[in-house]
Amino acid sequence: MNSPTISKDALGLYVHVPFCSHACDFCAFYQEAPRRGDIDRYLDGVARELDLVGLVEPVETIFWGGGTPGLLPAKDLKRLGETLLAHLPGPPREWSVEMAPSAVKPDKIEALRELGVTRISMGVQSFNDDLLDKLGRQHNRKQIYRAWAAFRESGFENINLDLMFALPGQSEADWLADLHTAMDLGPEHISTYCLTFEEDTALWVKLSQGKVKRDEEQEADFYEMTWDALAAGGYAQYEVSNFARPGRACIHNLNTWRMHRWLGVGPSAASQFRGERYSNVANLDQWLAGIEKGIPVRADVTVLDDELLATDALIFGLRMNVGVDLGELVQRFAAVDFSPLRAWVNSMAEEGLVEYTDDSLRLTTRGRLLADEVGAELMDVLCS
Amino acid sequence: MKTSHIRNFCIIAHVDHGKTTLSDRLLESTQTVQRREMKDQMLDSMDLERERGITIKSHPVSMLYKHEGEDYLLNLIDTPGHVDFSYEVSRSLAACEGALLLIDAAQGVEAQTVANAHLAVEQGLEIIPVINKIDLPGAHPELIEQQIEDILAIPREEAIRASGKSGIGIDDILDAVVNRLPSPRWSDNPDTRVLVFDNVYDTYKGVICYVRVFSGCVKPGDEVVMMSTGQKAIVKEVGRFSPKMLPEKELGAGRTGYIVTSIKDLADIKIGDTITHAATPAGEMLPGYKEVRPMVFSGVYPIDTSDYNKLKASMAKLQINDAALVYQSESSVALGFGFRCGFLGLLHMEIIQERLRREYDLDIISTYPSVIYRVTKTDGEVLDVDNPQFLPDPSEIDTIEEPMIRATIHTPTESIGDMLALISEKRGICDHTETVDDTRVMLMCDLPLNEILIDFNDRLKSITRGYGSMDYELAGYKVSDLVKLDILVNAEPVDAFSSIVHRDKAEFKGRALCERLKDILPRQMFKIAIQAAVYGRIIARESLSAMRKDVTAKCYGGDISRKRKLLDKQKEGKKRMKQIGKVAIPQDAFVKILKTST
Ligand SMILES: Nc1nc2c(ncn2[C@@H]2O[C@H](COP(=O)(O)OP(=O)(O)O)[C@@H](O)[C@H]2O)c(=O)[nH]1
Ligand SMILES: C[S@@+](CC[C@H](N)C(=O)[O-])C[C@H]1O[C@@H](n2cnc3c(N)ncnc32)[C@H](O)[C@@H]1O
Ligand code: SF4
Repeated sequence: MNSPTISKDALGLYVHVPFCSHACDFCAFYQEAPRRGDIDRYLDGVARELDLVGLVEPVETIFWGGGTPGLLPAKDLKRLGETLLAHLPGPPREWSVEMAPSAVKPDKIEALRELGVTRISMGVQSFNDDLLDKLGRQHNRKQIYRAWAAFRESGFENINLDLMFALPGQSEADWLADLHTAMDLGPEHISTYCLTFEEDTALWVKLSQGKVKRDEEQEADFYEMTWDALAAGGYAQYEVSNFARPGRACIHNLNTWRMHRWLGVGPSAASQFRGERYSNVANLDQWLAGIEKGIPVRADVTVLDDELLATDALIFGLRMNVGVDLGELVQRFAAVDFSPLRAWVNSMAEEGLVEYTDDSLRLTTRGRLLADEVGAELMDVLCS
Repeated sequence: MKTSHIRNFCIIAHVDHGKTTLSDRLLESTQTVQRREMKDQMLDSMDLERERGITIKSHPVSMLYKHEGEDYLLNLIDTPGHVDFSYEVSRSLAACEGALLLIDAAQGVEAQTVANAHLAVEQGLEIIPVINKIDLPGAHPELIEQQIEDILAIPREEAIRASGKSGIGIDDILDAVVNRLPSPRWSDNPDTRVLVFDNVYDTYKGVICYVRVFSGCVKPGDEVVMMSTGQKAIVKEVGRFSPKMLPEKELGAGRTGYIVTSIKDLADIKIGDTITHAATPAGEMLPGYKEVRPMVFSGVYPIDTSDYNKLKASMAKLQINDAALVYQSESSVALGFGFRCGFLGLLHMEIIQERLRREYDLDIISTYPSVIYRVTKTDGEVLDVDNPQFLPDPSEIDTIEEPMIRATIHTPTESIGDMLALISEKRGICDHTETVDDTRVMLMCDLPLNEILIDFNDRLKSITRGYGSMDYELAGYKVSDLVKLDILVNAEPVDAFSSIVHRDKAEFKGRALCERLKDILPRQMFKIAIQAAVYGRIIARESLSAMRKDVTAKCYGGDISRKRKLLDKQKEGKKRMKQIGKVAIPQDAFVKILKTST
């Protein structure tokens, strides 16, 4: 089975490492240039933030994302990992680290192995050197292979590759070739992200200036191709953008999509923790200043309630192929009035967008392609 | 000031021929305003008007001018620039003894200019032709002089060559105003007669009337009466525009300026009315008064039905400033409660709708515009129908008549074939053509009003590459074979899209509307049919395939709030659409459908 069992109380720990050697056109993640002084201040900050939190809850998963965690030199990776371990009651069950192919080095790999990192996520994006160049990526196909071999040789047996599609200038044949090249390597997990035009990115500006175009029809074609090709290659889809060999789904992400709990550390990191949902301020200095004063600077603070959690559990749950067990949902959020859902489910089923069997609600393939539309409707239906 | 030293005049010009620039020049040259004050003072019109390059109303200005050692008072009265406001134009003309007829030296005479010049001559105005923009390299004044002789029958020697931009000819113009225009007429009538040629609402003062005193005198404290309605009022303030309001002790015969009375409601003072003294009323009104009636009707509905009261209040506020706007409540199956509004024309309609959106922050939709049809039922009853919804069942209809217009169209000779084709496509009949000059022809034709409502002017402009122009007046009713065309979206009739059309054109128009809607409507989560029907019979059909993809790859770890915000936005976007059955129709669909060529 593709879905490892996770308890409702599971806690994930996300660490945002906000450094990139270069800002990609399409990217909206918070990142800064990797200056030595900033890295040191950042590492101090993580330790202090964890002191403030005072974790007593057991942590099931760790995820280092970015930014580019793999950009940190081996000794910093080591320091960051040891800081975490020192603050946790015990070692995690899954520990993922995002690595950029251009920054993979033997001493870093060794540091990660020693820490007990279990899972590597590589930002490949494409194997096509032309496209990589156009995206302004710092790596090429050769470096991907080299990084891949290095991880495998050192014994990492759970590796994900991030790929992107519907890129400007990418043909369907280009994309199929990338998918097959990825599958030929035989990673345990593949994430395929349709290019999203994020506000406040250089690409967004180009879009609004008409320098690049969006073609929703083509995006739909790309999606369908992707799902077919990966299924044929033995990678089962378990979420809109995620595919894995049996038992290799990312536990950390599953935990989030099921609306459990997670703690985000570092600037811009998001949390759903101790009854609240919030994001740390997306600014290194402000984040540090807050932490030093003992009053973290946070944005979008929301007090959690059952209705909110139930709606989000549905919205994000339906993005997963297993769907949502409604019986379990009703039990988990006993205070929520799910009655408006029935008529909605019926009409959506009539349109062939959802399936409802054995108490479990799932999107059909067509429905999955319309998951945002479905999500917006769900918000309307449940939060009136 | 003696009437012999007063001149009242206006400027007749086609859009962009330089009226604003020339007016500013005259004000500057007579030192009515200093150059640097010009912008703030002169351009105090609504944003919307400025954007569209049309001035609906601007107030008259009085200038003091010294000529051969004597002081003259020159009153420049503005005329609105668009056919929708032709009655206001005629009233402004009525306030003058003369007109500057401004013609762009590169563009030449336009249809509307000719029509307005004729109007002016009919009203007994003296015309001074001014060939403007003489500084342009493309100017050919001789050609224009020829046109002036040929079309307007004014001797070419009378034309003044000028440039509002460089200042050429400005003194000649001012001298001509003094020497060639007659002094104020009808000033020896024993009774006081004052023409209201425009009015505006002011929050503090109430209604400010723009007036021309023909005979007698008005001053604060006078009790006056509006001759068309018999409504009495006390005069509070009189004065002139210089160009700011400048109160005076009195306004005597021949003067142009403003009057503020105790009347607070714009609708109580009709444009074109005559004001006289209550104690010694004039025997006869000044000529030309007419009740203005709206010609175009459309339903205006709030997208969010709970905005009805806000819409109602906003309509009332708009009407305070615009007496030409009429409305009454109505309801529609698909759209809920709203108002049926009457407008002077399509431009007036667009302006009002745009103001509701911008100034009153209302999300509204408006129905397909309609004219007033006269329906005679089989039982002899005669109905005025301004809403396709109220067209009786065909079995009860004996005849339907539609309003006609008499149009004057100017077109370059090479476009005449296409123009005639357009006219006949619009069910028009051209009965008279006249050569204007080597390159231009004037066509006179009868057209149904409903055919020129939507896109006639745009088509005319595109056929003639901008050189053609049109002017028209209403010309009675005519029996016609008309039917109601309905549009169904996902099998639900959307009455906002219904219209009354000629039977022969129903299918063509139905198909065009369906095709256009297919482009305009966003795809929905399921496939929908768009159909056109005449009395229940489907005559055209399109289908809008289902949306295929609306999903975002989610690579941002645990940032649920971010995703939620995006979905919220999406949800809000839907709220601003009109839900008809299962289908969400965006606001702009109701506007865009109007731009459908039929
Ligand atoms: N070359 C030239 N351009 C002019 C002259 N008068 C006006 N214009 C230009 O013609 C355009 C229309 O002028 P405007 O006064 O706004 O015209 P209106 O629409 O008749 O009021 C503007 O771009 C002016 O700058 C002129 O005498 N010479
Ligand atoms: C958190 S990012 C950071 C990973 C790493 N810094 C890198 O670029 O390799 C994780 C993944 O999100 C994807 N991604 C980032 N921005 C995206 C966008 N605008 N549209 C689609 N995918 C995006 C990329 O595939 C990227 O590898
Ligand atoms: S895509 Fe990755 S490397 Fe590029 S700016 Fe974003 S986080 Fe940094």
